[in-house]
Amino acid sequence: MADDVGLQGDVTISGEVRPRTLHLKMLRKQWQIITLQIIGTVALIGMYLEVVSTYVVGSIDHTMLFDTIEILIGDQLPIGDWLTGEGRSGLARFFVPLVLGLAVGGGMALLAFQTPTVQQRIKLGFIITLIVALVGQLLFSWLTGMLFSFDLRLPNASELSTLEWPLLMILSLMILFLYLLPVIMGVRGIWGLSRRSIAWAIGFTLLFLGVHAILAFPLINGQLGDYGNSVSVIGAQFSEPTVGIFGLMLVTKEQFALIMIAILIMVFQESSYGVIRYLEYAYRLPESCKRDPEYVRQMDNVLNTHLKHTFGFLGLTGIATMVALGFHSVLLGIVEDSTGSQWAGQVSESIELSLTYGLVISAAMFLSIMALLRFFVPWERLWGLIYARNTPEAASQAKEVVDI
Amino acid sequence: MWTRKASFTFTGGIALILIGMMIANLQMMILGISFIAFIVVNSWISGHGDVEVQRTLSADNLYKGDDLYVELLVTNRSNRNTQLLEVYDNIPHEMKLRSGLNQMRLNLRPGESARIRYVLRCPLRGHYSIGPVSLRSRNTFNLGVDEMYVDHHSDIVIFPQIKEVEEAFLRSRTPKMYTGATTLRTPGQGSEFYSLREYVPGDPFKNINWKAFARTGELMVNEKCRDAVTDLYILLDSRDIARIGTVLKNPLEMGTVSAASLAAFFLKRRDSVALAIFDDNLSYLPPDTGDKQYFKILSALAGVAPKGAMPLQAVTNSLSGRFSRGSPVFIISSCEGDGTVPAAVRDLVGRGHEVTVLSPSSIDFERLVSRIPRMSYEVLKLERQNRLTTLAGSGAMVIDWMPDMDLSQALMQVRGY
Repeated sequence: MADDVGLQGDVTISGEVRPRTLHLKMLRKQWQIITLQIIGTVALIGMYLEVVSTYVVGSIDHTMLFDTIEILIGDQLPIGDWLTGEGRSGLARFFVPLVLGLAVGGGMALLAFQTPTVQQRIKLGFIITLIVALVGQLLFSWLTGMLFSFDLRLPNASELSTLEWPLLMILSLMILFLYLLPVIMGVRGIWGLSRRSIAWAIGFTLLFLGVHAILAFPLINGQLGDYGNSVSVIGAQFSEPTVGIFGLMLVTKEQFALIMIAILIMVFQESSYGVIRYLEYAYRLPESCKRDPEYVRQMDNVLNTHLKHTFGFLGLTGIATMVALGFHSVLLGIVEDSTGSQWAGQVSESIELSLTYGLVISAAMFLSIMALLRFFVPWERLWGLIYARNTPEAASQAKEVVDI
Repeated sequence: MWTRKASFTFTGGIALILIGMMIANLQMMILGISFIAFIVVNSWISGHGDVEVQRTLSADNLYKGDDLYVELLVTNRSNRNTQLLEVYDNIPHEMKLRSGLNQMRLNLRPGESARIRYVLRCPLRGHYSIGPVSLRSRNTFNLGVDEMYVDHHSDIVIFPQIKEVEEAFLRSRTPKMYTGATTLRTPGQGSEFYSLREYVPGDPFKNINWKAFARTGELMVNEKCRDAVTDLYILLDSRDIARIGTVLKNPLEMGTVSAASLAAFFLKRRDSVALAIFDDNLSYLPPDTGDKQYFKILSALAGVAPKGAMPLQAVTNSLSGRFSRGSPVFIISSCEGDGTVPAAVRDLVGRGHEVTVLSPSSIDFERLVSRIPRMSYEVLKLERQNRLTTLAGSGAMVIDWMPDMDLSQALMQVRGY
């Protein structure tokens, strides 16, 4: 019996085959992990651009705020227009700041992987640079002024005016940082493997949507006067649907944008948290398991499944949401076509049914039917049968590992 | 079953829809509907396919301190993927993982299998069972979780460790008298001639065969046939008091090790060994020889647990009739909490048995786990010494066995007996 039990496998370098282990150094370069991180980043950028294009651009965007500040101070802000996007129109205002946000987030992620000493030095250097930039010029001109005049005095107005530039610069950067917070935190979370940062990115976006929803509420919006007009309000009633699948128009362009925001938030969340979850698992494995080809193979399986499900299930979620939102028109069409009565015509023209209640009730009906489908259609068995038919030799697939 | 994340997502979705309806905000409603749709779509896949588990062990019986190699073969026998499946092989808490891991996260396609290999260290004797295998299947996005287990067990017996015992500390003064007693055809201490062999330094001069020396010119010594010894009786104290000390070091553990080692030593010499274990009752294994007896003794010792408080005299009274005349009796007991020990020993000696009391020092074991004031320790130690002196005075050989003392070192005290 003793001979039946094999020793735990190990990997070794042999010929052209590259060793595969679950050490973080190696796993971080694995294509599935990088793909998940790229998906997360693309979803983050997509989500951000959808949110700003729907709610912010031309309404409360940063360039408008900078313009207001410039009018207030009667001067140009020290930060360049090319950097802030001032002078551009539409979503283009956010392109350069977005790149800036990605770079800052990436830098923060890179910093997270340095040794504590290096991190401390970089943070210290940043703080010192900030202090020098803020009061360096003032101190230099004031102290040299006192030195040359052999006089002990407080800084005069011209010397104090040297504070203006750094203060405005820091204010501009802070405003930009605030606008770019989801991007910076999101990128830091995805590539720096920080759950907290991802939560910040999602939380800030949801908070923004929540605050915007409150400000767009007619009762409150009316109280805001002229400021209320600048809040972009998306009406509850829409025109004819123009976006759909298989030739069936389900939602309007505006609704599609809102669905995209919701789906992209989920894609970003699931792929970024997924990466952290799998890397954590690999990190906690004992050394012998990290080098065991069986564990490597199963990690591949798990990651591949996650990738497939990210596309499959989240894509399906988007489609299901679209169908759910357009389901009321399907129902109304059925009622109209099936009965052809006057009552049916009145019902189909009823504005209530295409407003919130009708929409939500029909969506809930559709989702309930979908939920019930699991009891009638064995999706997993169907998929398994298709898989088994297509790949009969799947179980004995060769992997890039060497067993000794 | 929904996870906390799924519950929050569902509740959040419902809340967003309701708030969205209240304030006529389509974004909130759509966000809520998306959350619900996410849950609904993911609910299509739940649970896992039929998983077959097969465990192979490197051995069914091991000695304490040995390593056990375990291999768990998990096969997906269904026509569906297993989804994210966490497999956890339940191992007794007394065993320690030495290498590998008894769990794995896997996703098996139809017909695919995975092997989990790990090594266990078995630091405690006993009868153990590895299993069942716990399975936890999760949705990819951690929205649903199902737990179950495969009722697959593998039984294993961990025997007490066998220590090396030095040659021939014990021999009966009275040879076997009943029919069938044989002179063993193996060299050793005895009276009958066995063979001639070359002299090696250390051999006693009285064994030199001078005639052979004269004939060959080389020093030759006479080897004797080993005399068959009588049956050996081991009485092991497994009363509740024997648990004093740590899990790994206590009078009972040391007792089982010494009983197993003595039994192994004497059975190897083709002697008969009997074992009596007394706790809340008496279990007796009659004297026998051979591998079968060896296995019986080790199995009995593996299952010993401290319980009860049977006095030694009750044991000797019920067994003395079965003891062969003049045979050696080994009493392995801390001699604590039993006032009948001197009388029992005196009785055995009076019947002509060679009694050896191997007594693990329970006070010193207690010191390993609790702080005993110096004065109390000295008093307890003195009381113990008096007790052992009384036993020695009854005619028994008494070995005071300290926790840090090896078995062969302790047995040195009876050398030349």
